[in-house]
Formats: sequence, C-alpha cells, structure tokens
Amino acid sequence: MIKEISRLVCVGLMGLVLVGCSSEQGTGTNTPKLVLDSLSQVIAARRAGPPQKLELTAAQLAEIDQPLLQINPELLGGSSFLGRATTRRDSGLGTVEVWNSTDNARVFLRNGVIIGTRGVGGDMISADANVTIKALSAGADRSGVRTYVVSDGDVTTTEYRFQCKLDVIGQERITIVNQTFNTNYIREDCVGGVRGDAVLRNEYWVQPSTGLVRKSRQWIGPRVGYFEVVLVKN
Amino acid sequence: MIRKLAISSLSAALLGSVALVPSILIADNVDGIFEVPNRPSLNFYGASGLIDMPSAEALPDGQVAIGVSNFGSQTRTTLTFQATPRIQASFRYVGIDNPNFSQSFDTYRDRSFDVRFLLNRESQYLPAVTVGLQDFAGTGIYAGEFVAATKTFSGASIPGTVKATVGLGWGRLGSSGGIGAPFGGDRPAFMPGDTGGELSTDQWFRGEAAPFAGVEWNVNGKLGLKAEYSSDAYIAETTRGVFDRKSRFNFGAEYQVTEGIRVGAYYLYGSELGVNVQLQFNPNRPVSQQRIPAPRPYFIRPSRREQPEAYDTAWAASEVEGSVLVRDALVPLLEAEGLTLIEVKTTASTTEVRYSNERYGATAVSVGRVARVLARLLPDSVETFRIVPVVNNLAQSAIVLRRSDLEALEFAPNSSDALLAVAGITSAAPNLAGSARNEDLFPIFNWSVGPYLTQRLFDPDKPVEFNAGLQLNLSYEPIPGWKVAGQLQHRLTSASDSDGSSNTSALEHVRTDAVLYDQGGATSITNLYVNRQWKAAPDVYARVTAGYLERMFGGVSAEVLWKPVGSRLALGVEANYVKQRAFDNALGFQDYGVATGHASAYYEFGNGFTGQLDVGRYLAGDVGGTVTLEREFANGWRVGGFFTLTDVSAEDFGEGSFDKGITVTIPMDWLIGKPDQRKRSTTLRPLTRDGGARLNVPGRLYEQVRSGHREGLVGNWSGVWE
Repeated sequence: MIKEISRLVCVGLMGLVLVGCSSEQGTGTNTPKLVLDSLSQVIAARRAGPPQKLELTAAQLAEIDQPLLQINPELLGGSSFLGRATTRRDSGLGTVEVWNSTDNARVFLRNGVIIGTRGVGGDMISADANVTIKALSAGADRSGVRTYVVSDGDVTTTEYRFQCKLDVIGQERITIVNQTFNTNYIREDCVGGVRGDAVLRNEYWVQPSTGLVRKSRQWIGPRVGYFEVVLVKN
Repeated sequence: MIRKLAISSLSAALLGSVALVPSILIADNVDGIFEVPNRPSLNFYGASGLIDMPSAEALPDGQVAIGVSNFGSQTRTTLTFQATPRIQASFRYVGIDNPNFSQSFDTYRDRSFDVRFLLNRESQYLPAVTVGLQDFAGTGIYAGEFVAATKTFSGASIPGTVKATVGLGWGRLGSSGGIGAPFGGDRPAFMPGDTGGELSTDQWFRGEAAPFAGVEWNVNGKLGLKAEYSSDAYIAETTRGVFDRKSRFNFGAEYQVTEGIRVGAYYLYGSELGVNVQLQFNPNRPVSQQRIPAPRPYFIRPSRREQPEAYDTAWAASEVEGSVLVRDALVPLLEAEGLTLIEVKTTASTTEVRYSNERYGATAVSVGRVARVLARLLPDSVETFRIVPVVNNLAQSAIVLRRSDLEALEFAPNSSDALLAVAGITSAAPNLAGSARNEDLFPIFNWSVGPYLTQRLFDPDKPVEFNAGLQLNLSYEPIPGWKVAGQLQHRLTSASDSDGSSNTSALEHVRTDAVLYDQGGATSITNLYVNRQWKAAPDVYARVTAGYLERMFGGVSAEVLWKPVGSRLALGVEANYVKQRAFDNALGFQDYGVATGHASAYYEFGNGFTGQLDVGRYLAGDVGGTVTLEREFANGWRVGGFFTLTDVSAEDFGEGSFDKGITVTIPMDWLIGKPDQRKRSTTLRPLTRDGGARLNVPGRLYEQVRSGHREGLVGNWSGVWE
C-alpha cells in the first residue's frame, strides 16, 4: 500500500520536475531530478525483486583460462564474477589477493578470508581476521577476537568487534560446476557487535591438500549481509 | 485545503524542493541483526510519549522525528531532534480551526518550542526519568512542564513489551485533576495575541500540579496499543468551543508501517477521533548507501635494496622540468577521478599537488584518490606526498603522507586509524612558488539552467506559500581568486496575493517586506556580484565582495578569517555597507543604507557540536549578538538552532520578542547514494521580523575553509581508503 503511494508520489513529482542542464555534467543537474532518479531506481529494483544467482555451465568453465571468483551476495541478489588483479605480501599473515569485478567493485582476500571490499556500498574498509586465517591454515579449532571496520554508507565507519570460535566440523565433498573437491568444512560462530548481542556465522570449505578456501560464506557488514564466495578457477 | 498544506509544510520546508518523504517511505532496514528494538513512539505533540501525554523515553541519539497529528479541529506538525542522548528539542506549528481564538483569522496558528532532559536512563530496576518544558518561549498556548518516569516490562506471560509511564504536570499538563501547587505561585491564563517569545522562567513548575499516567503495549513488531489518563483540561479550547471534553481517558492503536513510519488512530477525551502520523529517521543512517567506484590498489615500489636504480633521482635534476613533466601526466589522471589539478611542484623526494574537488562530498576521499594517482605516476624516489585541497583559490591544508606508509597499510587490520596516526595535517602556504600550473584552467565559465522552488512559511493566512520557476546561474572566473557570478530567476507561479502594505514594523523594514519582493517583477536578479578571495597568510583568509549580494540588499562586503588547520577555534571579522534593493527585483536601490558587520568566533566542541558567536550591528542598525549551536554529523547532516538578542526592545521587535530559529542541512549524497558535494540548507524562523536580521553574503569564508581542516577530515578519514 505504502509502496503504491510512494510510487504515485514519485510519478506525480516527476511530472512537475523540469530537466535541468548545465555547462558541466553532474554539477548542474538539478536536485529533484537526481533524487527522483535514485528513487525510481530503488522502486524499479523493488518491483523486479532481487536478481537471480547465476550458475556457470561446464562448457563456460572450459573456456575460462584465468583465475575466476564467483560472488553471490545474499541480500543484494545476483552474481558477480571477478578476476584476480594483483597478489601482495605485506607484513600481515599470508597473501592478499585483490579481485576485480566488471562493475567497478573489488574484494580483498587474505588467504581466502575477506578483509575488505570496495565499490559495493556499505563496504568493509578493513578487518582483523588473524585468528580465522590461522585456524583455516592449521585446519584446527581456534577462538579469539575478530574486528571489522565497516562503512556506514556515508563515508563514516563503525567498528564491529566479535568474539569468534572456529570449529572443524568434518570432511565434505563439494561440487563447483563440474569439479569436485574434498574439503574440510570449518564453521566460525561469532557474538558481538555494537550492543554485544549480534550473532554471525561464517563458513569455509578448505582444500586440505592446497590450503585453498574453495568455497565460503562470509559476513561483510550489517547493510551488505553475507557473500557466498566460490573459487571457480584458481 | 489549508490544513492539508499545513500538514506538509514542515517536511516540505525541511527540504524545499527535495522529496525526502517518499524516499524515507521506501527506505528499508536491511541490517536486521542491528536494528533498534522498541523504539519510542511519538505522542500528539510529536515528541516521545503516549497519546496526548509525554513519556520519559529518549529517542535514539541523533534521531529526527516529524509528527503530524489531528484531533478536535487541531493540527500539530512537529519536528523533533534528539540533540544528545539526553536532550530532546522540538519545534511545533499548530493550527486550530476556530474563529474564537483571534478576531482576524478563521484558523489560529502558533509556533512553539519544547525541550526535555533525560535525568536517568532506564536500568534494570529504575525507570527512565525525564523533566520537560513544553512551549517554553512562545505565546504559551501549550505552556506546561512535567516530570515523567517510564519503565519497560517484557517477558512474563504477555507477548511483546509493555511500557508504563507516570508523571506530574504543571501548566497545561496540570490543569485537570490537580493535587495542589507544590512549588506555589500561580500562572496567568493563556492570552492569544500576546507578544510572547521570551522565556517564561517565572512560570515554570508554578501553579497547580496534576498527575498523569499511561501504558503502551507493543504487542509485536508492528502493532501497539496505548491508553492514558490525561491531566490536560483543554481550558482554552473548550471555553472557545473547539471541542467537547467529556473524559480524562484516551485510547489508541498504532501500526508500524515501515521502519520509519508509524500511524495511529485514537479516541480522545470521550468525544473525539484522532490520527497521528509519525515519521522517524536517523541522519547516521543514509537513505541510500553511497557507492563510490572502487579505487585501484596502490602501486608498490620495488625495494631499494633489490632495485637501487629505480630510486635514481636524475629525473628531477631540474625541478622546473620535473614539475612540468609531472603536471602533464597528472592532469588527465586526476580528471578521471573527478578532480582538477591546479598546480604541482616536485623535487626528487617530495611532491606537492594542489587540486580542486568537484565530486566527493568528503574531502578525505579526494585525498586518497590523489595519493593513489601519485603512487602510480611518480618515480620511486618520491617518498613524501603533500596533498593540498583548494577551494576557490583558498588552499585549505596540506595533508602530508609518506608513500611507504600508504604501501604498507592498505590491507592492514585498522588501516584508517593507522594511517591517521602517521599522517600530517598542516597549514598550506598561500602560494606555491616555482610550481608548474595547469595553464588550461582559466578562465572558467560555468552556467546552469533549472527549476527552483522556494517557500514562504508561517504566514497567518497561508501557512506555506510556494514560488516556483526557472533559474539561470552564471559564474566566470578570469584568473584564480576572482569571480563574477549571478543568478537570474523567472517566477512561473502567480504572485502572492497577500497584502504587503499593512506592514506595521516599528523598525526599518529590512526583512518584513518579503511579500513586496514576491509581488515585484516576475523576473528577478537574485544576486550579481564580483568576488575576490585569497589567502593572506598560512592561517588567514580574506574576501571582498561587491554587487547585488542578496535579494534585498546590495553593496560591498569585506571579511577576514583566522583559522589554523588544527585549531578548534576560528575568529573572523566582516564589514559591509549595503543599500536596500528596489521591490522590482531589478537593478534599482531604495534610500535606506546601513553599515553592518560582525566580529565572529567559531568553535568546534568535538563530537560534532559546533558553536558560533557573532557580535555586531544588524541590518536595521540594531546592535547585539547571535548565538548559534549546531550538531554536525560526519556525513554532512547538520541540525541546529540560533537566537539573536539586540538593543531593540521586545515591543519594537513585535511578535516573538527576538529573532530565533532552527537550521537543517541535508547532504545530497545521503539521499542519492552517489558521490555529490551539494547540500540543502533550510532555516526555519517561527517569525521573520526586522530586528537582529543579518545580511546574507554569498561565499562567507568559514564554511569554505573548514572541510579541509583537521576536524573536517578526521570524521571521514576512512574515505582515504575508499
């Protein structure tokens, strides 16, 4: 009902608003039009519902000759395919990989654990995931503090602090397109947040032979929710 | 019809032409695991409470609430702001459809301010306790004080939560079921048409007191039920036949439509049906998540030990040639980030870049983008970046970053704080000697054409009156620091039919003739001026402006501002001589001229609170001071209030006794979720009179300078990595 009303309000206002123009693109576009444009996008997205998650076929996979990461954002819907842009060793644990999407977003993985995103909106600016990284590489239970610095969506941040416990649940065979992998399934349960009562669960499927995180489900932030991360091709 | 207009007037005024309300209607709460449970609901006065009675609850810190309620021919539109975790302030506009309140109008309209203080936060055993003043400075129709206690109960055998409130009220809130006057005294009855405006301290908590009580049962996340025992006799209303009060009990049901909207229906005082629409949102939670295109990762230099030849400094043997080379490469790279290079100077080890930012609302984002471009472009021997944001020829500050810190910290666990700890934010010299300048930059010519919408509020006949039309903006900057700018508006709506000739103000009519300007020519020159501004010293900024400065005045204006980069304190002086412009909105002047000016002190208290004190001579020739207090959120939202006291007597000033009002500033990017620098500011004055009126000069210095100073940068420092 309210959605209907707001849609009507928007349509009505759009009729009233004249299109502005200026010498410089962007700076002179008039305020009501910009707001209405962003509103109509939100409404269009609502009407369409979240986009569908994509599944690669075996034929498509066969054509891929470079590293490929698939990310399925649970709240936002849809799928994003990312290529590896750079690999970096710094003073922290393990190796940082920067993965690029085609739509100007980036994900930072430290040994397969997400420690940052950019261009998503409500991004993870930085994260301390040392306990997680140690547990995954050792394939053993661990517990400790995990912190996330997450954008509030307006170039300010909030630090979320969690007490996390990692448990190796057991072996699982997972299938990615037409490839099967033997993995260790490791679960990370966290309690914390601003009021101390928020609960998170990250999940990892780690190949014991290579230490690669083949598949995972990881929390990005309160507004973005969880990403399912699949390493389609390394 | 008029009532419908009144309902939308406050929210429309907040944004002017921006349609905030529908965007909040559809904004969802996606962060389910972090939502605020049990948010306080609003009462008919638009403040946290029961139905017509207040409660002791505070809203979440920073919360903005708009309440529109109607019962018994009374409509109240209220804007409430939880200014701190303990202080809540409200501004209200009320319309009572009844001719008996005043001789000249069918609808009695009034404005009122409330303030509340939370004495005790609710704990496991103790209730929240709040003391409040209602309508403490108006003509006093709603004048009343209260102390209330609220306790929340949940669990047990009933679903949801129950909030129980008991309180004691004075004034209007102590007019029914009184138990005597604990603090003695008596209070005068409400008199419509009184000048009002002054703090009625001698009346607070005086006279008869009466208890009130109520419960709110939030059955589940959506449905709430309320019942209360009211201590308000509605004497002024019932004696004038506004409505019939038959009972002290009120009942209602409320429904939470979305995260931000709650609607309620009520049965009040045994005779009336009422409705209440409650809108709540928090400036800290943007309507749209801002999505800034991801930056490229930092380019990492090889280590000096492995590749010493990469650190060769021969390229900068001639600093002039080196600077020119860097300039030519930088211009397109910065342009791709929405930034404009002004000048650059480099040595083999240090590069200083001066640039202007037309894209990002947060200066810190532009600093990060410049640093990334420099790391990609510059030879490995350059270790120090001096990044200088420039706004209209004013170099704001020099942000000094070490390249190796940027390389090392990009993926560090606490990258923002770690970088801030090693970054230098220092003052920038007025000019950069020996630099390579961007020769193609000047002259700069900008224009834009678009619609405009302005409103005039709180006219007794028409609570809100809109003017709409087309406007043309022009600006020309021949050389750095010089600007010729103007705005032309053509009104398409019909001119106001209010009678502007009945102005009885005892002072020079410096502001009260607004209707005559509205009725003047349909095509108006809003402003047209020449501006020169420059930095006189590393911490001193200066400006001279001449021309048609604002709609009602033209003349000359000069300003000097002292604001060190790391200082919370700034001092400024402004002197102007202006003449009143003709009502035809063209180039003519009237006879009245005045020398006006102020000495100003600005202070950043921290946590976003800012204060300003201006002392000087105002447009009507009166002498006094203005106090402004604002809360500024790091994302650019600002909510504040101001008052001006001058040597004009309350009688000469007229209704309201002295000038006061509230200001609300909303950043565009908060609404649209894309990088944008524009902001929409609205000043709401309950009454516009001629006393304490300040000249509106375009381009005052303080706000131009501040965004690149320390306090302006650190709130958005994470943007350096975005």
